[in-house]
Amino acid sequence: MVSINYSSREVCCKIVYYGPGLSGKTTNLQYVHSKVPGNTRGDLISLATEADRTLYFDFLPINIGTINGFAAKFQLYTVPGQVYYNATRKLVLRGVDGVVFVADSQPDKLDENIESLMNLQENLEEYGYNLDEMPLVIQYNKRDLPGVMSVAQLEERLNPKGWPYYEASATIGNGVFDTLKLIIKLVLDRAKSAGTRSQPASSETAGATPQPEVAAATPVMSAPTASTSRPYPTAEPEVTATSSPSASTEPSDPVATTPASPSYQEPSSVAAPKPEAADPSPVDAQATPSAATESVESSKIPEPAAQSPDDSQPASSRPFPGDREESGAKKITPIAFTPTPKESSAEVSYEKNVLKNSSADTGAAPSGSSLPGMAPPLRRRSVSRKRGFFKRLFGIK
Amino acid sequence: MADDTLIIYEEEINLIESLMSKMLKGAEARCALLVDKDGHLITRQGFTHSLDTTALAALLAGSFASTREIARLVGEEEFSVLFHQGKKDHIHMSLVGERSILVVIFDDRTTIGMVRLYAKEASAELARIFEQIKAKSATGVKPGISDEFADMTQDKLDDIFQD
Repeated sequence: MVSINYSSREVCCKIVYYGPGLSGKTTNLQYVHSKVPGNTRGDLISLATEADRTLYFDFLPINIGTINGFAAKFQLYTVPGQVYYNATRKLVLRGVDGVVFVADSQPDKLDENIESLMNLQENLEEYGYNLDEMPLVIQYNKRDLPGVMSVAQLEERLNPKGWPYYEASATIGNGVFDTLKLIIKLVLDRAKSAGTRSQPASSETAGATPQPEVAAATPVMSAPTASTSRPYPTAEPEVTATSSPSASTEPSDPVATTPASPSYQEPSSVAAPKPEAADPSPVDAQATPSAATESVESSKIPEPAAQSPDDSQPASSRPFPGDREESGAKKITPIAFTPTPKESSAEVSYEKNVLKNSSADTGAAPSGSSLPGMAPPLRRRSVSRKRGFFKRLFGIK
Repeated sequence: MADDTLIIYEEEINLIESLMSKMLKGAEARCALLVDKDGHLITRQGFTHSLDTTALAALLAGSFASTREIARLVGEEEFSVLFHQGKKDHIHMSLVGERSILVVIFDDRTTIGMVRLYAKEASAELARIFEQIKAKSATGVKPGISDEFADMTQDKLDDIFQD
């Protein structure tokens, strides 16, 4: 299941490296991690035992950047190969888009390979997947070791269905990238065929070819998204994308888009607005004009557009430490209830003023008190009375 | 093959995000993530800038998945709420509908009770939205990736994946 998020403008695929224990699945990921540029990949997360055997899974996210306004992300997982860990192995397969089966080429590992392949089939079936429809690449690993089985022999035993395969030596990196590229290709091919008609993702790109004026569209769209293609793990884009012009041009209904008139073209070819004519969907037609103008404006200044939503985001939720409101509130509290020496002196002077004023008031309008000049101000003014109470309580003079 | 493609459009994500930020405000929590059970991050709200949310989403989904298996082993169908307590920060996870997990990260400025209360409310509303999304995608067109997207991805991979 390729996840397409139109708000954060991401296409996300999950690829799982499967195979018997010690066949080199984690080594594959380690090699990819070591060779791929830092801004393209995230950290390699390994949930392993103390002996460096995978306990749950290894995880390596790869973000190859923005393509046609969509960030292409691939999440590489490995499974624990040992038979013992089948429960956790099965969990990793949930939502898988493509499988790389890493087979150990050594003759004495053949049975384990076969067992693992059968286990893969069983586990996939439990999730309702069919192994025959699943994009799968076999990697015959450890080809650099002496005495390994020939590829023909391995093919005969492991690959009766004719899956594509690569020979590899994961430790030195032979065939690692080839395998990965092929599985990604198969996954994308499958995602392509899954769409029965042209959809948002495809209409956007499909629009670029047939109609010349849309050629100018691509930069307009890529401008705001470019700011979102930051180096990996940052991955802020969703907020940006939500308010970005490209996101606002999203069809509100998938059915509304047809290959002939991708709703995407309108916002992008803003220079020459041509709303309803080509668009079959009333929803889109209404949304387009305003969205279109927005897209031009914000595409001119991608930087602030990218930042402001990020800033505004926290404002909507409760401020975190360091926030103005928060610190302000904290300052007020001690003044009111726990006077520190400094504050208390300030309070005293404040109180003197109050007393003066109130005594002045008393002079003008004497109260019914029998002791004028002493108690009346305190009695008359509730504030000063309270101050006097605290004054006495804390022994402030 | 089980076809459970998740398509989220802007109007829905806006709704989801506003719900999440309302919950954050009410519960006074630090941030919230909405994670697919497959480990994909759907969206997030609050102070997530210092967090590697991609890895977090994968690990949280893994953690939830293993708890689910544990539940089965003890004869329970599913644990719908999961809570990790730390020294300063705590994580509250709750199930949303059938396939998503609402994760709330909070600290000592609020209480687990508040978070639970608001998360429960939000979960119920989010579940409704997801049902709508599901109904919509059942009737709508299945998404696909254009040829051009696939080709350009391949080209880019050739550049990046070099020995």
